[in-house]
Amino acid sequence: MIFSLNLSFSDLLLLLPEILLTCWLCLVITVDFVSPRLPKEQLAYLSVAGLVLTLGCLAWFDVAHVSGALFGNMFVLDRMAIFFKVFILGATILVILSSVEYVNRFTLFRGEYYVLVVMSAIGMMFMASANDLLSVFVSLEFSTLGFYVLVSYLREDMASNEAGLKFFILGVFAAGLFAYGISLVYGETGQLVFSEMSSAQATPGLIIGFLLIFAALGFKIGAVPFHSWIPDTYHGAPTPVTAFLSIAPKGAALVILLRIFLVALASFKPVWVYLLVAVSIVSMTYGNIVAIAQRNIKRLLAYSGIAQIGNVLIGLAAGTKMGSDAILFYLLAYLFANIGAFAVVIAVSHAIGRDEIEDYRGLNRRSPFLAFAMLLFLLSLAGVPPLAGFIGKLYIFVAAIKEGLYTLITVGLINIVISMYYYLIVVKQMYINEPIDPSPIRISGPMKAVIYVGLAGTLVIGIYPQPFTDWVVDATLMFSNFLTPSATAVPSPVHVGG
Amino acid sequence: MGEYALFYILFAPFLGALGLIFVSNRQPLLVRSIAAGSAFISLIASIYLFYAYDPVKGGFQFIQRIEWSRQLGISLHLGVDGIGTPLVLASTILLFAGIFVSWHIKDRAKEFYIWLLILAAATIGVFMSLDLFFLYFFYEMSVIPMYLLLGMWGSHTKKYLEMTDSEGMKLRDSVGFIFNFGSNSKEYAAMKLVLFLSAFAVAALMGILLIYKYSGLNTFDILVLREHANLMNIPVLGTTLDKIIWILVFFGFASIAPLWPMHSWSPVGHAAAPAATSMLHAGVLMKLGHFSIIRVAFEILPETTRELMPIAAVLCMFSIIYGGFVAFYAKDTKYVIGYSSSSHMGYVFLGMAALNYISLSGAVIYMFAHAMATGMLFAMAGWVYDQTHTRDIPSLGGLSNKMPFISACFIVGCMASIGMPGTVNFIAEIMIIVGSWDKYPLQVIVAMLGIVLTLAYLFKMMRGLFYGPMNQKYGHAHDAVSTVDRLPLLIMITVSIGFGIFPMHLYDVVRSGVDPLVVRITEVVPVAQSGSEEGVQHAVGHSKIPLTSPIIVDEVAATSLQISGGERE
Repeated sequence: MIFSLNLSFSDLLLLLPEILLTCWLCLVITVDFVSPRLPKEQLAYLSVAGLVLTLGCLAWFDVAHVSGALFGNMFVLDRMAIFFKVFILGATILVILSSVEYVNRFTLFRGEYYVLVVMSAIGMMFMASANDLLSVFVSLEFSTLGFYVLVSYLREDMASNEAGLKFFILGVFAAGLFAYGISLVYGETGQLVFSEMSSAQATPGLIIGFLLIFAALGFKIGAVPFHSWIPDTYHGAPTPVTAFLSIAPKGAALVILLRIFLVALASFKPVWVYLLVAVSIVSMTYGNIVAIAQRNIKRLLAYSGIAQIGNVLIGLAAGTKMGSDAILFYLLAYLFANIGAFAVVIAVSHAIGRDEIEDYRGLNRRSPFLAFAMLLFLLSLAGVPPLAGFIGKLYIFVAAIKEGLYTLITVGLINIVISMYYYLIVVKQMYINEPIDPSPIRISGPMKAVIYVGLAGTLVIGIYPQPFTDWVVDATLMFSNFLTPSATAVPSPVHVGG
Repeated sequence: MGEYALFYILFAPFLGALGLIFVSNRQPLLVRSIAAGSAFISLIASIYLFYAYDPVKGGFQFIQRIEWSRQLGISLHLGVDGIGTPLVLASTILLFAGIFVSWHIKDRAKEFYIWLLILAAATIGVFMSLDLFFLYFFYEMSVIPMYLLLGMWGSHTKKYLEMTDSEGMKLRDSVGFIFNFGSNSKEYAAMKLVLFLSAFAVAALMGILLIYKYSGLNTFDILVLREHANLMNIPVLGTTLDKIIWILVFFGFASIAPLWPMHSWSPVGHAAAPAATSMLHAGVLMKLGHFSIIRVAFEILPETTRELMPIAAVLCMFSIIYGGFVAFYAKDTKYVIGYSSSSHMGYVFLGMAALNYISLSGAVIYMFAHAMATGMLFAMAGWVYDQTHTRDIPSLGGLSNKMPFISACFIVGCMASIGMPGTVNFIAEIMIIVGSWDKYPLQVIVAMLGIVLTLAYLFKMMRGLFYGPMNQKYGHAHDAVSTVDRLPLLIMITVSIGFGIFPMHLYDVVRSGVDPLVVRITEVVPVAQSGSEEGVQHAVGHSKIPLTSPIIVDEVAATSLQISGGERE
């Protein structure tokens, strides 16, 4: 591995989105510093402007088919990286817009809030491009650093502090596992770049190393044995941060999981498929069953998020190009539905001040728009046609059935029914029960914008998915090099996990 | 113009619902006219469809195909055959009538019409889907509007347990009691409906996914799958794959039909639902089950259907008798009609199980006929409920003085439901009975008994509601006098009696859809026989049977044509 650090201009071009956003971040800090009287929402719009600019840059990359690798393959800009960068930037824009009103709850450091959000986004953009265990580690920790602060931003709120502490301790623990895993893998293979590990032999050290790495990434996405931080952290964190946490880091961690499983470990598919099947089944079932018992909407969405990750892992377990297409598509659907749902939670809690499910009583009378939006978001999460979530789930099932994962699909289908129950409980509160306090709920402009974007995404992807499927199919073209149509049997499969 | 008829029928209600979103609830007349207008467009287009459908040509007509997802092999493939056409017509008639039945809804009228239109449009979508994906898509889409319609505008069932208690005996809905927890609330009914239907629907989805995988054609298109999919003789889990798929599809869709013992969501749902929803629910939503079984199981797995359809013949007896008896003892108007619907759907299964031209045509005509009859009954039960705010039959009585028009219509509704000559139900019933006699004499006897039971409980209910001493508490009740209130009943009565007297076109249309299907099932048609998608139908469907001959003569002629379907080793 030779590091060439004499960067040419064309090399820097590959880093342009990150460089641009970092410079913009500095601009936001400076503006915040030099004009402390500037209303903080101006900072939000300034950050959004930078993010949109970066999005534009990525759109140009996408159209012009810019791609390449830097630093001895540590940083790659391929179609999938572009997809996930767009995904993360989109999530960040929506989260910032939905924070505009919420930020007034913070007593201090209102300007820095936006800086931290964008900083985490930069970290995750690097994750999307990371093609090497070290760069994964660095970018992962960089993005998590911002989240540690963001989660405990409500300084007077005990729950928020608890959430921050829990997230921090478990996060650091996961980081330790990750680092140890890297050392084992490096020790066994002498490689750090994913694409060069594909010829590695299955030694115990390598297996333990990858299991540790999987555990650390499982922590980020909140798959079941590693999920214990999710409910409390989601519950305690400021709601926009919860929304951010529920989508962007999952996307960023999934791109790494995709690269690890479908590139580095492509030849071990008959082995890891059991691990993923087990984790997926447990995640879906646990998430959905525990969600039934929740009384708090944020906790409900937390558990539903665990279940959704179980669904995503079905696509990963399929281990095909189509499986990865399905994951990307599912994440798109999940982005709009989940951020939309959290946006409604933010709007409602702004008016009521609480997040319990019973506070949604008669929301249809108080704000038909919010209730209708929440209905569509929840149904999309449940997977009801004609919404995006349904197509996402179906895409994943089709990918999985082509690989013959019948048990997994059966469990997934049963879980759709279970999840329908608790989503409908919320719908029942909103639509069927009469409100105690019938005063209408006012929604601020940026909030409305976020909800409209969520609605548009949920409906358009559900009704006309062709452009989106084309996009995801294009984004995962790289995997067709590593995946043979029928994965050949590994000489002596070592049984790991389930 | 004409070739886009299916688009008008399908998208007019959707666009109406979309348009309603932008209208304020403070303009009730505008809300209603948009709803009625879009339903009217749909109705006119479906009448055109019904008469423009060419029964001599047969096969799928008015085909529209739009690529929807290349990666998944899905296209919005619409088309109707002789089975879909009358059901589309029934849906639009009931939607149009339902909008007038619910004309007086005050609470959140806009939302009510939005969900009603979406429900009807989704139902119509199933009847014209030629793509497994879209069939499931529309099927599942029809479930959620039901939840909201029941939950928001429905009514609680008071003292359900006492109502079905007769002489101290606990005559509960025993199987339904599994999830019944004694709850009578509309929320419970709505949730039960959604969970039941979704649970069975995912079983059907599993079947669809298995068809997709094992056909290896990378498409969900029914026309392609039925010609080219070879799903036979693949051993799986000690049996063969086609049987597993068939069972999944059959029971998945039969739950909405509702076939005993999967029926328990249905009467509860009927009872809780507002009148227009009950009409659509009993009138067309239940037929989604039969229709989807015909479309998926019959078309794609004909040989397995011949082998396994006796399951339906066994279960339909329980449906008929069980539903009939519960309806007899029930003391809630909507329970009576709900259980009567679930009992009558057993006839359709009987007709389907016998698998010959006459019985299957009878089953399809029965679906159409039952939609009208049960639509009338639910509309009138809804009217009585609106006037008296009770559905408890013993506390009602003597209403014929107050509402002569309704009570007269009620007699017609009962007659239609029983299958009096002169209504289209009679034709359907006689065809089912004549057609099934050779193969399933026991079931036919049970069905006859079911007709007697129908007579008993409907007359009992009619006496309880309209005759006898009047409860003075309901002295304020009044008749349907305005055109708006009378129109829906008159439409349904006209259709029911009209087709009862002039059934020829309906019969021809249905036969043109049923004949190729029966040929396909009873004769061993080699798979992937020819390239043309409609070749098989054209080749065998119409050469043997004159379609426009008098019914009874034709029945006799066609019964003899039945090709040894009865023998099973």
